[in-house]
Parts: sequence; structure tokens; C-alpha cells
Amino acid sequence: MTAEALRRRAFWQILLIAAGLLVLTVISAGSVYLVNKAREDSKWVLHTIEAESQINALLLEIRRAESSARGFLLTQGPDFQSEHEKAVAAIIPALDKLTRQIGDNPAQRDSIEKLSAAIETRLDQFSREMSFVKQGQFDRAIELVREAARGNTTTTITNQANAMIREEERLFRLRTANSDHSQTLAASMTGIGSGLVVLLAMISTWLVRRSARARDEAEARLRDANINLESVVDERTADLREANDEIQRFAYIVSHDLRSPLVNIMGFTSELEELGGDIFRRIGGLAHVSADGAPLAPAGPGEIALEGPDKQLQEDFSEALGFIKTSIAKMDRLISAILNLTREGRREFQPAKIDTTELIEAVVSTLAHQAAEAQAEIHLEPLPNVVSDRLALEQIFSNLIDNAIKYLKHGVPGEIRIRGRTKLGYAIFEISDNGRGIDPKDHQRIFDLFRRAGTQDKPGQGIGLAHVRALVRRLGGTMSVSSELNAGSTFTITLPIAWNVSNRNRDR
Amino acid sequence: MTQPVTIIMIEDDEGHARLIERNIRRSGVNNEIVSFANGTDAMQHLFGADGSGLVQKGNALLILLDLNLPDMTGIDILRQIKENKYLKASPVVVLTTTDDSQEIKRCYELGCNVYITKPVNYENFANAIRQLGLFFSVIQVPPAAP
Repeated sequence: MTAEALRRRAFWQILLIAAGLLVLTVISAGSVYLVNKAREDSKWVLHTIEAESQINALLLEIRRAESSARGFLLTQGPDFQSEHEKAVAAIIPALDKLTRQIGDNPAQRDSIEKLSAAIETRLDQFSREMSFVKQGQFDRAIELVREAARGNTTTTITNQANAMIREEERLFRLRTANSDHSQTLAASMTGIGSGLVVLLAMISTWLVRRSARARDEAEARLRDANINLESVVDERTADLREANDEIQRFAYIVSHDLRSPLVNIMGFTSELEELGGDIFRRIGGLAHVSADGAPLAPAGPGEIALEGPDKQLQEDFSEALGFIKTSIAKMDRLISAILNLTREGRREFQPAKIDTTELIEAVVSTLAHQAAEAQAEIHLEPLPNVVSDRLALEQIFSNLIDNAIKYLKHGVPGEIRIRGRTKLGYAIFEISDNGRGIDPKDHQRIFDLFRRAGTQDKPGQGIGLAHVRALVRRLGGTMSVSSELNAGSTFTITLPIAWNVSNRNRDR
Repeated sequence: MTQPVTIIMIEDDEGHARLIERNIRRSGVNNEIVSFANGTDAMQHLFGADGSGLVQKGNALLILLDLNLPDMTGIDILRQIKENKYLKASPVVVLTTTDDSQEIKRCYELGCNVYITKPVNYENFANAIRQLGLFFSVIQVPPAAP
């Protein structure tokens, strides 16, 4: 899985969540708005119904007033009079209430003005009618009733009221429709919104499942890669081990086979030396004879002194043989060194618990003589104990301390310090001196076989440090040097505190 | 019946063979020296055509053996000599350039009588061979099996 794909997936997830939130917000807002609208619509519907019933109530009161007036006219009964007065008293408040209720509608306002006028007229007629009846002028009262009937006041009232009722009914229909519409809208909005949310949730679930699957696949691939890596590492390690063994064998065979001709060279050089001695003795004998004229048996080897060019010849001969023998001796030392190194490389290491302080004290005591000669003091600080190969550690410390003593500055009392500490499962040892130091450009070179650095005033083959480093590596450690010319040197060795034989030794 | 000891020298390096022979002669040993430059010829001589070793029955031998031979290792020759009933009584002196302690130990385990490393220091070598000469003069070759 690439980083790009991961980023894209995360982007889609965020987008989905954002979309879901947006949909929810819109639905909520829409629902609130639509519910409010529906409530408003219902209110208006209710208002219409109220107005309609108010109109009817008004008409009823007018009819009541009319019929009670007629009753009074016919019977002059006080019941009818009080009935009429109650009805008339109710008409004006009812009319006022109606006027307030439909004040919002300009068309109705017009109608109500007409209605009001008609009602005023009618109420006036009623009051006159009632006063005529009370005064006993029944004819005039009847005349007034007829006049009222002719003037169509009642019809006008009825017509106006009916018109208003029709208008209110129209409004009722319209507002009911509006209300229905709002409610349908709210319902569908909620429905669609819920559907969208469900859809988004499904997409999100799908994405999460897909990502989980991708993660599982990636994990499986990682596991495979790990297993593969292990086998590759094993393979490489085996290759390296084989190469290392090959080098060991090569070094062993080469050094061994080089020795064989060297035995001959040395052997026959010695033979030649003897032959040379014989030859020069004879030359000396002959020279004697020719000089004295009397042959003399040589008294013994080496007793005849050669003279002049013969002597020169003998010296040249000895010199040549001398160089050959020195070179052979040197070559033999080098070959022996390689042999010893390869032998060390083949030696089985035995890990053991080692009291490092005791071990180094023993090493120091064997070097006490050299140290005293070089006027060097060796200080031992507390050292961590390790599990390692005893012989290898002895060789490491003995080489390093020996070097420190060997390469001190002339005329300066030596001070050699051995320090130790532990860090993360490793023991770190430092061997520092105040000696002549090593030029930084030679820091690598001093670890190479047969290479040395600085003034060559001490005997040595250039093997010690190469050997030490090989040992440290085999013990699973590392070593380094820090030094400046004329400023002393510090060799640092890092060894595992608990070296395990299975690390490297068993591989050989 | 006294029988002179024959020295069998198995050494592939002619120079080494010559130096050994010279030093043996210098130490005053005049026994017959038979030289072989490879293992096969030596084995042929020691064990005969049939490989039984019967040809050497009753012969007093001293074997100088180099471990590094072109066609086989001296260790093999040593083992076969020491396993053969006619030859196992003959003293074997192993001569080699190796001073490897493992190899020396192995040779002694197989029954080698003396082990001499050929040092480059000629004086040491010559001394070792001369001492070998002294050794020749004192060894008692066991009586040949009847």
C-alpha cells in the first residue's frame, strides 16, 4: 500500500463524515423550519374556522334579536323583551370580535364594514320597533317591520355574512392545502435525509472494511517479507562464513607451503656457507704455497688469513650470505605470524566467567619488568566482569598494555590507565597512555597485518593490533583508537558482557 | 642374524631429501637410504604389488615420512603402516614443516615414534637430524617375525 493511497483513503473518510454531518444539519434545519411552517399553517386554519364560527354566532344573535322582537310585538311578553335585549347586547361585542379576527384580510374588512352598516341599520330599526311596541303603537311597529323587510336589511346581512363565510371557506381550503403541503414536505425531507445518512453510513462501513482488508493483506505481506529476510540473512551469513573459512584455509595452506621452499633456501644457504669456507681455505692454502714455495698443510680452519683481493672476495661472499640469511629469517617470522594467526582463528573459544580486574592484574605483573624499565606506572580502575574467553582476553590486554609501555615518550615517565564501564549489555574498556601517540592518518593502518606507524625504533612485526582486533571481533566486540601525535593514545574495546558461544564459535 | 636397517625416506621435496640425507651421513650413519618422492611409489615398495606388506617381512626398516605429499597425506601412510602386521614394528619418524599441536598429537596417536618439525633455522634442523642419527644407532629393530 502506497502512502498516496493511504492519504486518498483518509481524505475520503473525512469527506464522508463531513457529508454526513452536512446532511444531518440540513435535515435538522429543514425539519425545524418545516415544522414551524406547518404549525403556522395549522394556526391559520384554526383562525379561519374560528372566524367562520364567529360569523355564524353573529348571525344567530341577529336572528335571535329579530325573532324575539317579533315575539314581543305579537305578545308584548316581558320574556321576549329581555330575550331581545340580551341578543342585541351580544351583537355588538360579537361584531367587534369578528372585526378583530378578520382584520388581517382586506377583502373581509370591506365586507365587514358593509355588514356593520347593515347591522347598525337593523339595530336602529330594532330599537325603534321595540320603543313603538312599548308605547303601544303596534301599527307603527308593524309598519317598521314591513319597512325593514322591504329595505332588505336582513337579506343584506345574510348575504354579507354568507359571502364572508364563503371567503373564509376559501381561505380554509387554501390554508389546509398549505398545511398539508408543509407536512408532506417535512415528512419527505426527513425520509430522504434518513436515507442519505443510511447510505453514507453504508459507504463508510464499506470503506472501513476495505481498509481493514488492505491492512490484513499488508500485514501478511510484511510477515512474508520478514520470513524472507530471515532466510536471506541466513543465506548471506552462511556465504560469509564459507568465505571466511576459505580465507583461513588459504592462509594456512599458503603459509605452510611457503615454508617448505624456505627450508631448502635456508638449508642450502648454510651448505653454501660451509662450501664457501672450504673454498676460501683452499684458496688461502694455495696462496701460501705460491708465496713460500713450500706446500704447507693447513693447520686448521680459519687459521689462514687471506690477503688483498682474496680477502675482499671472502668478505663480499659472507656479506651476501648474511643478507640472504637475515631475509630468510624475517620471512620465516612473517610466515610463522600468519600461521599463528590462522591457528588462533581456528581455536575454539571457551566462554567463562572472568574476574577482569584479576586477569588484568596478572597480565600487568608479567609486564612489570618492562614497565619498570620504561619508568611507567600502570593504574587500574574498577572494571566490569564479563563472560568471555580467558586466553583471548589475556592476549588482548597483554598486547595493548605491552604496546602502551613500548611506545612511551622518551624521558617522560609513563602513565597507563585502564578504565572500564558498562553500557547496554556491553562492557567498555579503555587503555590510555601519555605516550607518543598515533597520527590520525595512521589510525586505520595500525590495525593492518604487518603495518606499523611512527618512528620504527622498537622491534616488532606489526602483528599485535591486527591480532587483537581479530580476537575482539571473534568475541563479538569492536575496538577503536583515539589518539593525536605526542598526546597519548586511548584504545577502546567494547565486548558483550555475556558472550555466548553460539554467537560465532559454533559456526566454525 | 643381524640385518642392517634400511632407511625408507618418503619426501616429495628433493631439496629437503638431500639435506636430510646429508645430515644423516654427517652424523655417521651409513645405512642404505631408499628415497621416494611420492606416496604411491612408497606404498608400492612398502606393501608390495598385492598390498599385503609381505614383501617386507623380516626386513628391518626405519621410515622417514613427510606429511605433505602430492598424491596422499602422510597421515594415511602412517595409519596403514601401523595397521599392517609386518610393518607396524618399524619405527616411523614424521618430518614436517608444521608445528601444529593438533597434528603432532594426531601423529603420536597413530603410533609415530618421533616427530620432527623442519625449522628454517638450519642449525636446529641439522641438530635434529644428527640426533636422529644417534637414535638410529641405538634403536633395536625388533626381531623379524618368524
